[in-house]
Amino acid sequence: MEKKTPKDFWNSSTVAVLGGGSWGTVVAHLLSRNSRSVRMWVRSEEDVRRFNSTRVNLKYVPGVQLDSKVYATSSLAQVFNGGVQAIFWVLPSQSCRVIAKEVAPLVRGDEILIHATKGIEAVSMKRISQILSEELPLRRLGVMSGPNLAHEIAQGEPAATVVASSFDEVCDAGQYLLQGSQFRVYREKDLLGVEWAGVLKNILAIAAGVLDGLKMGANCRSMLITLGLKEMVRFGVFMGAQEETFLGLAGIGDVLATCGSSESRNYRVGFRLAQGDGIDQILAGLGSTAEGVLTAQSVFRFAQEHGISMPLTQSVCQLIQGEGSAQEIVQGLTR
Amino acid sequence: MTHQESSQKSETQSPFPENQGVVGSSFLGPLCEFNEFRSKILEDVSQESYAQLVEQPLDILLGETLYSEKLRMKRFRANWFTRKRHRADQKLWGAAYSELIKPAAEADRKVLLQRVIHHYADEIGGHFDPQVYKFATHAAPWGMNWLLNAASVQRFLPWGMTQSLNSRLSILGEVSQLQSLSRKGTILLVPTHQSNIDSIVIGYIIYLMSLPPFAYGAGLNLYSNPVLSYFMSRLGAYTVDRNKSNLIYKQTLKNYSTRILRHGVHSIFFPGGGRSRSGAIESRLKLGLLGTALEAQQENLHRGVENSKVFIVPMVMSYHFVLEASSLIENYLADLGKHRFLPMRDESWQIRRVLGFFWKFFSSQSSLTIRVGRPLDVFGNFVDEEGESVGPHGLRLDSTQWLRSLGELTRDPQRDQEYVRELGERLTDRFYQDNTVLTSHLVAFAFFEALRMKYPDYDLFRFLRLSPGQRTLQLADFWPTAEQFYKTLVEKSKAGRFYLSEELLRGNDPRKWVLEGAQQLGVFHDAQVVKISDGVISTDDMSLLYYYRNRLSGYGLSRLAQENVLRSGYGKKDSQGFLE
Repeated sequence: MEKKTPKDFWNSSTVAVLGGGSWGTVVAHLLSRNSRSVRMWVRSEEDVRRFNSTRVNLKYVPGVQLDSKVYATSSLAQVFNGGVQAIFWVLPSQSCRVIAKEVAPLVRGDEILIHATKGIEAVSMKRISQILSEELPLRRLGVMSGPNLAHEIAQGEPAATVVASSFDEVCDAGQYLLQGSQFRVYREKDLLGVEWAGVLKNILAIAAGVLDGLKMGANCRSMLITLGLKEMVRFGVFMGAQEETFLGLAGIGDVLATCGSSESRNYRVGFRLAQGDGIDQILAGLGSTAEGVLTAQSVFRFAQEHGISMPLTQSVCQLIQGEGSAQEIVQGLTR
Repeated sequence: MTHQESSQKSETQSPFPENQGVVGSSFLGPLCEFNEFRSKILEDVSQESYAQLVEQPLDILLGETLYSEKLRMKRFRANWFTRKRHRADQKLWGAAYSELIKPAAEADRKVLLQRVIHHYADEIGGHFDPQVYKFATHAAPWGMNWLLNAASVQRFLPWGMTQSLNSRLSILGEVSQLQSLSRKGTILLVPTHQSNIDSIVIGYIIYLMSLPPFAYGAGLNLYSNPVLSYFMSRLGAYTVDRNKSNLIYKQTLKNYSTRILRHGVHSIFFPGGGRSRSGAIESRLKLGLLGTALEAQQENLHRGVENSKVFIVPMVMSYHFVLEASSLIENYLADLGKHRFLPMRDESWQIRRVLGFFWKFFSSQSSLTIRVGRPLDVFGNFVDEEGESVGPHGLRLDSTQWLRSLGELTRDPQRDQEYVRELGERLTDRFYQDNTVLTSHLVAFAFFEALRMKYPDYDLFRFLRLSPGQRTLQLADFWPTAEQFYKTLVEKSKAGRFYLSEELLRGNDPRKWVLEGAQQLGVFHDAQVVKISDGVISTDDMSLLYYYRNRLSGYGLSRLAQENVLRSGYGKKDSQGFLE
């Protein structure tokens, strides 16, 4: 018998996608092109039923017709039944640890896990890959991140992403499984840097939303992005990231996409804050999580304790807490 | 039959699948069986190394090796004991030079490579003196366990000393698990390293724990000292020369270590490389040798050998005073400070000092604390009583799954290298958590930090040059700091960051341990590390004080350090150059 190539292996693999939000659905869609079957874990029974009968995720990405290889279930046991070769973790940061505990007894240990969560654990400031390695009997972990607005990719527009891991194997798997004619997958070693870049850009996205809400021009937005990126680098490097990572797709790439798009939830939060709406009201109307709101406060508290200067994050925090006005963000930039 | 003999009997079933025929009947554990086919092993290791290296561009490989060896030999100062070895080295490299200047057609590089590998393999594993062998087997007709078994230590130390040694050693931690695992797989014992005395102490501890003999990866430099050479040639089964950093040597050494682990020979080496020069617990481990554990386990797995698990057992030793403290810290500071540090004296490692150490150790009330850490698998997971790997939430995990890639049990050098790096990190964590804080460390740290509060702007080197008047504190001013510090320590030890010694747990009067600690530090060194008299606390030697203080660095205990748990703080320096 001829030896299987890695491509053959992944093309005949079973892949789990945990999370049925917009990005989770799009990732499942991308994966269905390069694997044998995709099992998608969606929390609500009703969504599962609707999804399996229509093959469309009406709530988040109504435009995507999923392949019949994608199968949704609300049972984790069913997802892992018989084993999967790769796991894509597309869940909000708050539920990361809880669900990891449930998943722990179900995995074998040889799976490759790639997460796409751009958040951290509040208080402990742990990155998602840290939480997962504490909770799961797996070591081969990675992250995917980049300028990936779900709707655009769903429509088949060209885009690129980064898969980062200290294990080459994980980057390989990411490339074999995700790559498509319109979707390019780059590899990266700096897992920590890519994770932090994804986390920090959400804060910047809120600020960008605020500026647009105030109808500021291009000069002002460029100033925000440039200064905001510096702040990201300062914090990231303190945490142990490589500076170059922030100049890549997962850094500046993601920042540019998020800061200019009303599709970003964090951006929308900022936009409405600028119009004077209260944070609770905005979040209630959002329907899903805006990671940046939680992140901003944890990051700022940490930065303060360790003497890292982060004026922009500070004013975003104050605005979220209702302590400052949207104007102050602009003033903070020009002061 | 003594307890110890019975434990060795149980080694009869030790796994030795490949060499069953060669070995014959021996009941003293893999190491002693191993001696009987030592030459075969050396031959295999040489061949393996040759096969791995022969594809390299040999002119460059051999040229680099020649270059680094010439440098090493230039720096090497041979004494009576090492002269023979040194001459053999010179001869080899002289010949290598005249071969290498000839064109490849005239002088076969492959032959030269073979010769170099043989030379190294012999140095690593061939430390075996038939004369000593004869002597020891005659002197101990009841067994061959003289070799690594520390019983030999007991025989060579005077009677009273060994009795007293037992009472002075407190061996804490996972002793029983270590004992039971030694019958279920291969143990790789990885101790922290502070002093050359460690080797003797470890040998003795292995004996006290009734473990079968261990192979020792002992520093070659130990063989240049007559006192230690005497012990080491009995304790040590193979040598590690940290001055040889060339690829050929490292490959041969790794292959040797892998090979003996694969054969189920329990081994010891110091993962930190040399002795800690700053006094801090090791934070950067040598991953090359550490990786041989995974390599051995994997090799056996591929061959279908059962009971082939390698268990990595950390061990942390806590001394009140360290024999070589002065020269180690001076060395460290000179390296760090370059022009900013002026070395004050050159303290060498003399017989007089070694004997003095033991004399002072036995004549004082000093004790030695050794903690055996929780055993780990080759990935750094804890293992349970049965030797099974335990993952998060105490769930057993099948770690062979971690060696599968693309659905098959397979090798992947990049993956394995990453596993070893993670093992190194976990091991460092264990070292710090298994550390036992003694009164002497505590008083050194508290006093050093209290002084620093007075001169918060000074950098390390300026601080170390404080004048005698400046390095003095009124006791009345010192007590509050000491009390506060004691409280912090109790808190942190409850949180599992380290252990406190019995003395520290017993009393809650900080003044008592300050006096005790100061007295302990005073036992050995000529200079008073911490002096308490007339209502003042002072020091005669700032560098030594720094050395002992550093045992508690890495925990973020310094009030001036920016504590940072997220950025792993082990071995980190603050902006003024102090270990955090």
